[in-house]
Amino acid sequence: MNKTVMVVDDSASVRQVVSITLKSAGYDVVEACDGKDALGKLNGQKLNLIICDVNMPNLDGISFVKELKKTTQHRFTPVIMLTTESEEAKKKEGQAAGARAWIVKPFQPAQMLNAVAKLCLP
Amino acid sequence: MSSNPALNEARDTFFAESREMLQVIEDTLLALESNAADDETINALFRAAHTIKGSAGLFDFERIVRFTHVVESVLQRVRDGAIRLLPPLVSLLLVCGDQIAALLAEAEADTLAKSPAPHPNTDAHGAELVAQLNDYLAPAAAGGALLRTADPIAEPVPAAHGGVASEHWHISVRFGPDVLRNGMDPLSFVRYLGSLGRLISVSTVFDGMPDAATMDPETCYLGFEIALMTDADRQTIADAFEFVRDDCALRILPPHSKLAEYVQLIAAMPEDDIRLGELLVRSGSLTEAELAAGLSAQGQRRVPGEAPPQLGEILLGQQSVEAPVLNAALDKQLRVRERVAQESRFVRVRADKLDQLINLVGELVVASAGVNLRALALKDAALQEATASLTHLVEQIRDDALQLRMVQLAETFNRFNRIVRDTARELGKEIELQIEGGDTELDKTMVEKLADPLMHLVRNAIDHGIEAPEVRAAAGKPRCGTLTLAACHDSGSIVITVRDDGAGLSRERLLKKGIERGLVAPGDQLSDSEVFNLIFAPGFSTAQTVTELSGRGVGMDVVKRNIQALRGVVSLGSEPGRGTTVTMRLPLTLAIIDGFLVGVAGAMFVVPQELVIECIEAPALDLQQDYLNLRGEVLPFLRLDQMLGSVGEPVATRNTRRSSVVVVRTGSGKAGLLVDSLHGEFHTVIKPLGKLFQNIRGVSDATILGNGEVALVLDVSALVGSAATRLQGGTVPAHGSRALAQAV
Amino acid sequence: MIQISSEAGRSVARLEGEFTIYQAAESKPPLMAAIADSEELEINLAGVTEIDSAGLQLLLLAKREALRTGKSVRLVAHSEATLAVIDLLGLAGYFGDPLVLRA
Repeated sequence: MNKTVMVVDDSASVRQVVSITLKSAGYDVVEACDGKDALGKLNGQKLNLIICDVNMPNLDGISFVKELKKTTQHRFTPVIMLTTESEEAKKKEGQAAGARAWIVKPFQPAQMLNAVAKLCLP
Repeated sequence: MSSNPALNEARDTFFAESREMLQVIEDTLLALESNAADDETINALFRAAHTIKGSAGLFDFERIVRFTHVVESVLQRVRDGAIRLLPPLVSLLLVCGDQIAALLAEAEADTLAKSPAPHPNTDAHGAELVAQLNDYLAPAAAGGALLRTADPIAEPVPAAHGGVASEHWHISVRFGPDVLRNGMDPLSFVRYLGSLGRLISVSTVFDGMPDAATMDPETCYLGFEIALMTDADRQTIADAFEFVRDDCALRILPPHSKLAEYVQLIAAMPEDDIRLGELLVRSGSLTEAELAAGLSAQGQRRVPGEAPPQLGEILLGQQSVEAPVLNAALDKQLRVRERVAQESRFVRVRADKLDQLINLVGELVVASAGVNLRALALKDAALQEATASLTHLVEQIRDDALQLRMVQLAETFNRFNRIVRDTARELGKEIELQIEGGDTELDKTMVEKLADPLMHLVRNAIDHGIEAPEVRAAAGKPRCGTLTLAACHDSGSIVITVRDDGAGLSRERLLKKGIERGLVAPGDQLSDSEVFNLIFAPGFSTAQTVTELSGRGVGMDVVKRNIQALRGVVSLGSEPGRGTTVTMRLPLTLAIIDGFLVGVAGAMFVVPQELVIECIEAPALDLQQDYLNLRGEVLPFLRLDQMLGSVGEPVATRNTRRSSVVVVRTGSGKAGLLVDSLHGEFHTVIKPLGKLFQNIRGVSDATILGNGEVALVLDVSALVGSAATRLQGGTVPAHGSRALAQAV
Repeated sequence: MIQISSEAGRSVARLEGEFTIYQAAESKPPLMAAIADSEELEINLAGVTEIDSAGLQLLLLAKREALRTGKSVRLVAHSEATLAVIDLLGLAGYFGDPLVLRA
């Protein structure tokens, strides 16, 4: 059974690239365009990993992680946060919320794949 | 990446999406000009920049990433409340939005092209914007954004000899209690290590797990001793644990590590030494003999009553630190020091402090001249020698001080990138700006005063010089016109040219207009240069009909005045169908003058050296005559004594002397200055005239001569100009008056 | 999911589906109770589709508890997922159970 990764990002092009990269490496991918959308898609969805942008409209990444940690079904699902170097403060906030894995944007698709592999090989 | 059609599609999404984001940025910024910024607005701004940067990175658009990163950092500070979004910043950000748009367009073009083209103009403009943006970044933040801190795990790899027998890496890791709750599964890291090479052996350590009653099933108690055969480096191995770096104890030993390092590892891990030693032997990282040797080395050092030796001591005592390791460390230190040196190579100084210094140096030069004069009067050889060396030093200081104020023209030139682009776009033209000699240096005060005339010239060239793409194509020229800003040094002056490859000026039209305006007599034979330079005549372009000429004429007389105020001359050349070139020749600085000293009516005057072409002996002249024959050329000349008034001896005595003519360069031609005596070249600091004298026409500044006398610096352009006006308005229909008018 | 059955002093714990951190908290009490209640416990792993570090820790705890109290805990009918983990972490020796290796 393939590992399933949820990609949460408000940028359609980022979602597209991440999704294509993951699929070509053998993962199944679920896409969501912001934190709110992602929460809506969690229910009943088997997920091995979530890749989530920090800065998003409606519900930002950190708030999403906080909500995620409240669910019974997904509270231990690993999350990779996409952040930028300029968001050190956000990183602290995210760490407090339980986010441990970070990829600094901009990143190469291969870099992202490598980070995903550390948490779940396909 | 381009081979993957799905990714190409994603890239198209990126371009579309980024343009949307830019629109959001622009709309938001424009709205901010009328409304105060609330948090949500600022968030939206930040997010837009953030998204562009983040996405651009995925597609390898380095230039977009680099530039947007800085914009984003500034917006970050706005969002953090560190800086406020005031109008200057809003304007700057608007310009930055345009820059991102330009980068996007270029990225898109590069994607379509087989090989990416360089974009020096956009890059230069970007660099300038980044410099401005950096003003809004705290020094620490700006530095932090650029410098990555060294990774603590990145240690030099020890030498491959003198260590234990095992050929694999040994990784020893103990996970923190919260790892599982944070969604991290230690198993996944082991699997990942397996993907880096071959797992020789893994030993699971769970000695820290408490008894069944207190064991918390969601707490992590695991650790591993791993033997890994891999070609990966230490950093790669360490990075496997990057997401749990703060939540684990990690030791990595490279192949053939020193026994002492294993001893250190054994001591550092929470388990009993013997138990851990067994694990190491089991994993194949240590042999039994090696373990025994290591543990006994540790034991032997324990002298009763003394604290056990630090493991670092064992390490250092047992094996010497290898030379390569030491060298690597020293290298690194050296590099750090070099960087610090680089940073401190520049000192920012306020411009007015520099001006103050240069003024003082000017005073020093004058004072030194005074001392020199006294010394000469006293006829004291020793004193004269001392003042001579003093004078020499003062001159050096003067030159060096002036050098401090020299700046490169590149910054001024680069500012035109946006103007050219914007104006060209407005007019539906395609124009590329080329910059040559941007590293040419010029006095800062000059550079500032050059901005306006350059702006006029560039605008004119875009408006009226370069044709619309269709017109160009029809004429067999490339659709994209080229506008060139160039600077170079030429015999002590700086020459700046603004050149376009447009349609050029029409000689016939100019001539017709010149005749209409009474600047040229019908039937006169004028050279091309004379015709083209009519354009600088005041009000030349105030024509009724909107023509190519009317536009180009806008401000040309202003340009000329500006350049003359800088003691420079401006001239224009044009070839029909090939383009127009405006050339400005300027002194390097206003603070110092390379002058030619002349005597007129017993007073001393300085003619700026860059304007002097030659000196000739005055022929016998008729009192009414205002031109002479210079090797077959008509040379209008000015009688300086008459123009400046008789300030010295009566005319009668002077007439007995032989006078000379100094031939000077004017805008488009030459003019002569009739003087009494020539005193040669002369290099000195200029003292501006007091306010009272500022309106004296014909004299621009003053300077002090070595003998303490004051010499006035002639404003040649103004002199020739006023002479021409006087003659034109007068009744003398002499040949020279017209020639003079043209020369202006 | 964990199901405990008991017959003639011998208990069988049947693990089904995921045996991960999501099930760890609820699985520990019945598993420990099963060890306390009988001399011999057989943990049947046939139905385990996924096991992570948390699940593994419980198996380690069960085995260690048995060793400490002189009882017997055996892992049987390893599923592919459990075999892979035990193999990866070099724990076959510790559990000491016969493993069916796949060709």
